[in-house]
Amino acid sequence: MNARLARAASSLAVIAVLLAAWELAVGYGLLKAYQFPPPSKIARGFVELSLTGFPTGVSLWTHTGVTIWRVLQGYVAAILLAVPLGLLIGALPVLDKLSAPLIVFCRSVATLSLLPLVIVWFGAGELTKVVLIGYGCFWTMLSNVIAGVRYVDPVLVRAARSCGLQGPELYREIVLPAALPRIFAGARMALGVGFMVIVGAEMIGTIQGLGALIMEARTFYRSEITIVGMLVIGLLGFLISSGLAGLERVLMPWAGNLDQVRR
Amino acid sequence: MSCAGDISMREPDATPQAGRRTRAPFIRIEAVHKAFAARQGGELMVLDSIDLDIAENEFVSLIGRSGCGKTTLLNIIAGLDAATSGRIAIGERPVTGPGQGQGVVFQQHALFPWLTALGNVSFGFRKAGLPLEERRERSLELLRLVGLEAAANKYPREMSGGMQQRVSIARALALDPQILLMDEPFGALDELTRIELQQELLRIWQARRKTVVFVTHSIDEALMLSDRIVLLAPNPGRIQRIFEVPMPRPRSRTEPAFNALYDEIWSELSS
Repeated sequence: MNARLARAASSLAVIAVLLAAWELAVGYGLLKAYQFPPPSKIARGFVELSLTGFPTGVSLWTHTGVTIWRVLQGYVAAILLAVPLGLLIGALPVLDKLSAPLIVFCRSVATLSLLPLVIVWFGAGELTKVVLIGYGCFWTMLSNVIAGVRYVDPVLVRAARSCGLQGPELYREIVLPAALPRIFAGARMALGVGFMVIVGAEMIGTIQGLGALIMEARTFYRSEITIVGMLVIGLLGFLISSGLAGLERVLMPWAGNLDQVRR
Repeated sequence: MSCAGDISMREPDATPQAGRRTRAPFIRIEAVHKAFAARQGGELMVLDSIDLDIAENEFVSLIGRSGCGKTTLLNIIAGLDAATSGRIAIGERPVTGPGQGQGVVFQQHALFPWLTALGNVSFGFRKAGLPLEERRERSLELLRLVGLEAAANKYPREMSGGMQQRVSIARALALDPQILLMDEPFGALDELTRIELQQELLRIWQARRKTVVFVTHSIDEALMLSDRIVLLAPNPGRIQRIFEVPMPRPRSRTEPAFNALYDEIWSELSS
């Protein structure tokens, strides 16, 4: 326990030294403040964002809330579509062979390159942002669900068959639980994709959301605001990812060594 | 050393301990061929005209180099794989699939990781149509048989390789099989655990009177366990020779008969 405390303290010390060096470097004119806003300026930016908001009236909490809501809508919609579709494709090898090239293709198209098209289709409103986020999450999730059910250890299937299971029963009782760790890993990866897409998705037609905040700050050369936005996005991703990992441990206590998949 | 299929001398009241067999063949394998589609087109012959009779309560080992088709033959008896041609019957019934009295123990990692030891064993009972409480009771009893009662609530990842294989055996026994098919079940275990489990298996086999077909690549293991050892040759897999193991059990690795037979099998294997 003491060793762990000491380790935590020393890594905190490293961060503190780095921040202090940064602050001093700006103070002595080695770094330009508008390029590398010092920690003190970022802290002031954070206070301004929390109290008055940026642009004026839209506080950091509104930005965060709006972004979470958009990501959640796109993410949940993507999962609700991808899981049943992936389970179906994974169950039928013919379907898997037919759809594999399409899935690889769609997954490889950078989500943000769709922005102009999606605006033409859905306008510049909320739906466009949710659709973009959903698109990114969907393909990642879909390929993981398919891989999960397709690559179940064959010896488990043989063991189940030797116990008299076959067909849909075999799929439900063996293939599904065996695929769960991979499906969960996919859900975590998809969430990461969702957060990667937001900055682009919120570029157009809104002043609310963390992505919009970052773009707006760029317009006014408020680098410290950009950094606060980045930090909040990173923190959100970290918290939600840890939450999902915790949920996995509760739902799948048997899958102890998922750490390799988790990263 | 008598030949395969020589069943006329078997006595009806034979006990497994004596290494003798009852009169009628119990598993009958006739002219079994197995071919897979080869990658370069054409066919790859894995098993070539296998003829083998196995008596009830007999312990038979299949031994041979990799590629001799021993696992394929086991899978065909298990009904998990179909022969390309030939006949295979258990009792008088042709084998058309699993669930005809075959219980299978696989090499390793064949336990369902999301089920506890108890859950895995209980899985074997699921087709038996028993009430839940009785399934639980009987599963615990089987865990007791393999010496793992205390580990009933452990997940596979929390168990050693030896414990996992004990649970695998218990799960196969839960099917109440007449035949226990074992595919190198102790191959991945360390030496001490392997010897322990071999003794355990003999104990269970003698207590429950099963017919056992045991795939191994260890001459030593085959000699310690079997009534007969079927030596398969590779490319394509075929029966090269069948050895009777006449020594009474428990056997000792140091007795002269054991070593003489070991040398004989080894020279046949490397010829």
